[in-house]
Amino acid sequence: MSKVFPRWSNTLPLQIVIFLFLFGGTVTAAVTYYFTPKYTRVGYAPVQPVPFSHALHSGQLGIDCRYCHTGVEKSAHSTVPTAQTCMNCHNQVKTDSPLLAVVRAAYESGDPVPWVKVHQAPDYVYFNHAVHVNRGISCVECHGKVNEMEVVTHTKPLSMSFCLECHRAPEKFVRAPADVYNLDSLPLYAQGRVEEARAFIHDWKVLPPQSCSGCHR
Amino acid sequence: MKRHFEHPAPSERELHGPRYWRSLEELAQTPGFQEHVAREFPEGASQLDGVDRRHFFKIMAASFALGGVGLAGCRRPEAHILPYSRSVERVVPGLPLYFATAMPSRGGAVPLIAETHQGRPTKLEGNPSYQPYGGATNLMAQAAVLDLYDPDRATASTRGRAVLGAAQVNDLLASIGRAADGSDGAGLAFLAEESTSLTRRELVRTLRRKWPKAIWAEYEPVDVHAPQRAATAVYGRPALPVYRFAAARRILALDADFLAGEPGAIAYARDHAKSRRVIADGQEPSRLYAAESRFTITGSNADHRIRVASSAIPAFAAAIGLRVLTQKGRFPELQAELERIAAGLEVDSQWLDSCAQDLLQNPRRSVVVAGSDHAPEVHAIVLAINEALEAPGHTMDLVAVEPPEASTLRDLAAAIRGGNVRTLVVLGGNPVYNAPADLDWATLQRSVPEVIRYGYYVDETSSEAQVHLHATHFLESWGDARAADGTILAIQPMILPLFSALSEIEVLARILGDEITDGYGLVFRTITGLAGVGGEKGFQQFLHDGLLSGTAFRKLSATARPAALAELTRRAQPAPALSRSHLEVRFVADSKVDDGRYANNGWLQECPEPITKIAWDNAIQVSPRLAKELGIEAPSSLIQVARKNANVFTRGKQAAPVAEIRLGDRIIKGPVHIQPGLANYTLVLPLGYGRRVTGRIGRGAGFDAYPLRTLGAPTYATGATLEITREVYLLANTQEHWAMEGRDIVREANYGEHIQDPHWANSFGMEHHSPPIYGADQDAPLAEKVTRTPRGNSLYEHPEFTGIHQWGMSIDLNTCIGCNACVIACQAENNIPIVGKDQVLRGREMHWIRLDRYYATGSTDNTEIPEDPQVAIQPMACQHCETAPCETVCPVNATVHDEEGLNVMAYNRCVGTRYCANNCPYKVRRFNFFDWQQRARDQLYLGPLAPKGMPELLKMVQNPDVTVRMRGVMEKCTYCVQRIQQAKIAQKVKAGPSDDVKVRDGTFQVACQQACPTEAIAFGDLLDPASAVSQAKSDTRTYNVLGYLNVRPRTTYLGRVRNPNPAMPDYRDLPLTRLEYRNANTPSGGRTPVQALLSNGRTS
Repeated sequence: MSKVFPRWSNTLPLQIVIFLFLFGGTVTAAVTYYFTPKYTRVGYAPVQPVPFSHALHSGQLGIDCRYCHTGVEKSAHSTVPTAQTCMNCHNQVKTDSPLLAVVRAAYESGDPVPWVKVHQAPDYVYFNHAVHVNRGISCVECHGKVNEMEVVTHTKPLSMSFCLECHRAPEKFVRAPADVYNLDSLPLYAQGRVEEARAFIHDWKVLPPQSCSGCHR
Repeated sequence: MKRHFEHPAPSERELHGPRYWRSLEELAQTPGFQEHVAREFPEGASQLDGVDRRHFFKIMAASFALGGVGLAGCRRPEAHILPYSRSVERVVPGLPLYFATAMPSRGGAVPLIAETHQGRPTKLEGNPSYQPYGGATNLMAQAAVLDLYDPDRATASTRGRAVLGAAQVNDLLASIGRAADGSDGAGLAFLAEESTSLTRRELVRTLRRKWPKAIWAEYEPVDVHAPQRAATAVYGRPALPVYRFAAARRILALDADFLAGEPGAIAYARDHAKSRRVIADGQEPSRLYAAESRFTITGSNADHRIRVASSAIPAFAAAIGLRVLTQKGRFPELQAELERIAAGLEVDSQWLDSCAQDLLQNPRRSVVVAGSDHAPEVHAIVLAINEALEAPGHTMDLVAVEPPEASTLRDLAAAIRGGNVRTLVVLGGNPVYNAPADLDWATLQRSVPEVIRYGYYVDETSSEAQVHLHATHFLESWGDARAADGTILAIQPMILPLFSALSEIEVLARILGDEITDGYGLVFRTITGLAGVGGEKGFQQFLHDGLLSGTAFRKLSATARPAALAELTRRAQPAPALSRSHLEVRFVADSKVDDGRYANNGWLQECPEPITKIAWDNAIQVSPRLAKELGIEAPSSLIQVARKNANVFTRGKQAAPVAEIRLGDRIIKGPVHIQPGLANYTLVLPLGYGRRVTGRIGRGAGFDAYPLRTLGAPTYATGATLEITREVYLLANTQEHWAMEGRDIVREANYGEHIQDPHWANSFGMEHHSPPIYGADQDAPLAEKVTRTPRGNSLYEHPEFTGIHQWGMSIDLNTCIGCNACVIACQAENNIPIVGKDQVLRGREMHWIRLDRYYATGSTDNTEIPEDPQVAIQPMACQHCETAPCETVCPVNATVHDEEGLNVMAYNRCVGTRYCANNCPYKVRRFNFFDWQQRARDQLYLGPLAPKGMPELLKMVQNPDVTVRMRGVMEKCTYCVQRIQQAKIAQKVKAGPSDDVKVRDGTFQVACQQACPTEAIAFGDLLDPASAVSQAKSDTRTYNVLGYLNVRPRTTYLGRVRNPNPAMPDYRDLPLTRLEYRNANTPSGGRTPVQALLSNGRTS
């Protein structure tokens, strides 16, 4: 009786299993790396219509975040400043810089400056800035060290697991109220002030929601 | 096995011009539609209709480019943030701003607070500064914001087909004025809607002074001035009776829907609820008698209701009058007249005697009210009765109103016929559609050389005019108005006119050549001209408050003049004999579209009528007896339940026979709905449907009843005949089943029983027989039950309710009147789409809260439509069960509980298995079968590549705080989670570095609660024993619907207490729902056979 299968086929099942295993592993690894917000979002730094430098304004000149992002303590949105806010200074300083032409044009015409969105929550997520900054969460936790950025870059994944990381253990992320807008500060926990952080969570009744209704409406 | 679904070929109408849903003729004729559509989603093969290969590739290319296969990688498409160029005062993106304004409506404006998001009004609430309404609204006010963004509204002024620019419009208006200047106004006529605006009144007075020969006529199809006319005649000075139901213990309503239909109904409903709510303090609630031909909301709330033809209402009033006046010895000169009128009235005299006796026994605390669409003579009789009952000053006030100044439509018609009108300016209204049929207004209007029409929609009247001027919405214009009680209200624009239109007062000022032509200036001049307002500062205060306090109509004390009473009474006619061949037709303003003015509002059209539960249509309502005599029978045994029902339903589609009504030489045709509780030979015809020229929503909805309506008989006419044709018309009826089948869903008791056993609501029903739901913790305080009690020892894991708030709701069935305001409020707040009639026929309506209407007759025999049922109404929305059955069956955890007791829906997790809806005992979950928001209603069935997208205008009405749901996800009441979260966030922001994070009771209201005119809904934190909802739930009448399922709903109900009069012939010792429950579950009634026999003898 002739051989139906050659000898090498004896190892074929094993080879197939190993191949599938490796292939599956590679696909899984690739998807986890390339298709999650850690890769898809982090590093996004679109070109803005006006080459505004946070490193200069916030870092070097020390302008408080809230000078421009006026809504952050009151509203869900931190609010991007109006052209008028820029002109508060720039009608005195660098009045004819070509880089500011877009802002001046917007101020004159009434048409908005088309800033490109960097951090974007999906439509079904309702993030609220006011409740975070008023309760000890600094800008830096989500936006990174914007005061050192020439071009605003997406530095944190802002995925649901990123949100939950903090909502599940807020004591690791809270800052003293005075430090919320100080982007160079560290959370109490990182400073080693663990008891203080815990007391903060307890005394202020910081109860970040972990159920769907907290963010999805 | 897959079944193929073939789309029917498009009809003539579909191929030409826009259409809204598949026409009903087509529905009826196409076999594919007549069958029950077994598959939820039709096969995709035929869905490429209209997309050719080229288009297909274009779209594919675009989606590949976007989808990331191309160069864009996995990055999302670029999005922009567009901040204002210059900062806007007070505007913080993300925070709404609230402004006071008011919605003008027939018989008095509704004061409102508008919520605006960056200059875009999205939601209207009642203005709580206006005490009589206390922040409540009605369904029309809730729906008004949709009209602002109606894609079908007139967007330009036109002459024929040519568009008129702003300058041309100004020229045209000025030229009308110039022409009138030369002739003292001869040849110029205006026809306007009634308005309560002081500014318009001033402008009209200027007009009369300037052009004495010009005609200013006003017309409203539904006239509500009869009470004023009667009172003015009787008291010899301009007067209007208004009622104080809160002080009344006995009320008799004569064909009057004062809870929902009359001017000032919101205040009346609120007041009436106060008089019912006193049972919580151990007092007797008020007692409401109703005599009416149709079934109104007021009738459904009555303790005793009698069916009387509208043409017999004068006789009924006279019969009551005779009994009251004779006993009191008042107005003896009326005696003979009343006897003449009351003669031949076929009403159980015991009903009349006992009712009159009850009124008489409560002098100063009883009141009679007649429908304002009845003739002045009825109101004269009612005034005489109220005088005898000493109502004025106690349960009724007379207020000083201004006498009408305008000419009537009849005068104007005469002038046109006489050739005295060369230019006719029609301001608002829609006379071609709704003028009395015997005037033949369309022909009259055509005979005028120049007709200029100013209106919000291009409608029937515009199509008979040379020029159409497009109007502003009230949310776009400056104005002022008076509430039903006379308080002057501010109308402020929330947004610049979307299509740069003019408001009515601006048009008038331009015609008059006034030096001020802008709305603000005109209103400023009027208001600051009033005594005591005080210049700019006072005006700003007026705008801030939205009203001028203390400007309500002044109360009068006047003596009735018997001679005037007698003269008016003489005009009343006795009840005509009605029969199958001599029917009465009763015209009523529709509860949703009114006289037709809201016909293009999708929210209102899709809202089921409170009693008939029909959406998107009106119907000829006939009584069961007439239906039987006419032989309207179920043609086959299509009915799925073991009962006979002459209204034929197959899965929510009511196949209504079409009938022809003949009245004199006029004929109309419409579908017949058999409605219990109607006077035997009355045909009820809701007005406002059957619009011929209107937007896509209103077109094709219902039939037009105006062609039967004449100048002489605007409310009812007799002598009609009804002929059933062989046609069948499908009505979208959202609740075909009307019996509770012996279940204890709505719980009611009579007041007598309530005193004896305040815990009656829990002394019957399944839970009463089963072990206590909370076991040993049954008597634990509420706060403990909602947090600590083990969640039913169920096998499933249930979340710990650890939140610092535990939300709950209590709905008082005793004060809920079933007015639908909550349904529309919820729709406006929560971005709930409309689905169109075609989909409502399939049972896919999306309302998160519905009003269930049950009929009870006391008998368990539900095979025939009852003639004289009691109605019980129950608002039903997600109950937020603590051990929710929907959660355990969700395969993807899309519906779970949060720690504060909300049953939440994560839309982005939902995959649309619909298991949850199947497992919901309350049937409150709603599924997005289609992309309702993205697709026009005639394109729902097109495939995934068909064009999508919401019209720009409709995008503006969406609440930015609520997700717009997509196709394939489940949704349901969220307890307005966005409002809860906003309140919690606001409190946390306020708390800052402190632990004061608990939201205080009353900080916010949920949408249904806020709109409710009777404050029937309480919502709040159950952990706070002082909160309104905890207080409400501590009432002994609290019960759970289907509580025996141990689902522990967070929404509980307060049982309804009826207060019937034992002396009345229709008195039963239990409400009929209870008799039905008892008869169904214990056929002997739990008593000895003899007692049961006696009791059955009384009920049958």
